[in-house]
Amino acid sequence: MRTTSKDITAEYLRRLRSELRDLPREQRDEILREIEGHIAEATTRMGDAGEVGLRTLLDDLGDPADIAAEARERFGVRRGRAGGLEVAALILITIGGIIIPGLGWLVGVALLWASAAWSVGQKIAGTLLVPGGLALPAFLFFWAPGATTAVCIRHRVRGGVVRWCEGGASSTNEVLGWLVFGLLVAIQIGMTIYLARKMRAAEPQEG
Amino acid sequence: MSCMVPVEKGKEAPLAQMKRGVLEFCVLALLRDEERYGFDLVRELAELDGMVIGEGTIYPLLARLRREGLVDTRWRESSSGPPRRYYRMTASGRRALEGFIREWQRFRDAVDSVTGGEK
Repeated sequence: MRTTSKDITAEYLRRLRSELRDLPREQRDEILREIEGHIAEATTRMGDAGEVGLRTLLDDLGDPADIAAEARERFGVRRGRAGGLEVAALILITIGGIIIPGLGWLVGVALLWASAAWSVGQKIAGTLLVPGGLALPAFLFFWAPGATTAVCIRHRVRGGVVRWCEGGASSTNEVLGWLVFGLLVAIQIGMTIYLARKMRAAEPQEG
Repeated sequence: MSCMVPVEKGKEAPLAQMKRGVLEFCVLALLRDEERYGFDLVRELAELDGMVIGEGTIYPLLARLRREGLVDTRWRESSSGPPRRYYRMTASGRRALEGFIREWQRFRDAVDSVTGGEK
């Protein structure tokens, strides 16, 4: 398949967007918009210069990595984004509730909201999915009195090998329990990874 | 006689840093008398010998100047194609430029007087 001019431009802009990820959104969008406009204007003026013309134009613009390095320099944004605050927030919203039951997670949420590395939407998502972090599934299925799965697991722990679960026809319940357990764990871990990837640099102090 | 300043590891050559600092005043100087379409501004700067590597690196600078209030922008209709964003210098941009020009002349004369300059 032949690459079209559109593909080449789109690929360039995609690389640029990714290189600019450390910048605050507003600055990143402004730079992207301007460069997109620059390419459009240049191609209009070039007329039909074909792929060679387009590639020369992009070379003149420069490597996306260089543009991003310049942007970080101009806006005083450092590369390598995770500060201590953000790392602590992510660890605590994930397993803080297990380390210090309940409270650890609350501290994590406070740090999450104190950080400038995430948007409000991301903070809401990080708080609500999953409330309590991994402590929620752990509590529901291991500690909560009367939890079906907990009963089965206690069997497993005491008896070494589990043969059946208490209450006769509870094997469906057990499967369901494990499903919910797995789902909650997966959602929380997915959310932690998502937040770690979406982290962006805080704006420079002098703003 | 030479006085070499050792370049710290991981730090840019001092000249590159200086160019970066001076470039923003070149932008302001080009906007001194008239507002300009971003594209034309960038092309013109890129043609200054040895000032810019990569036209694209000028846009982050324009974004920062705008944020600092040294330039502002407005959209204008274009006879050919979509509206264009024009840059113009603000009053505080003008003050910054005037201050720079005074400093720059002193600096240039001082450097020339020890390095011998041209003529």
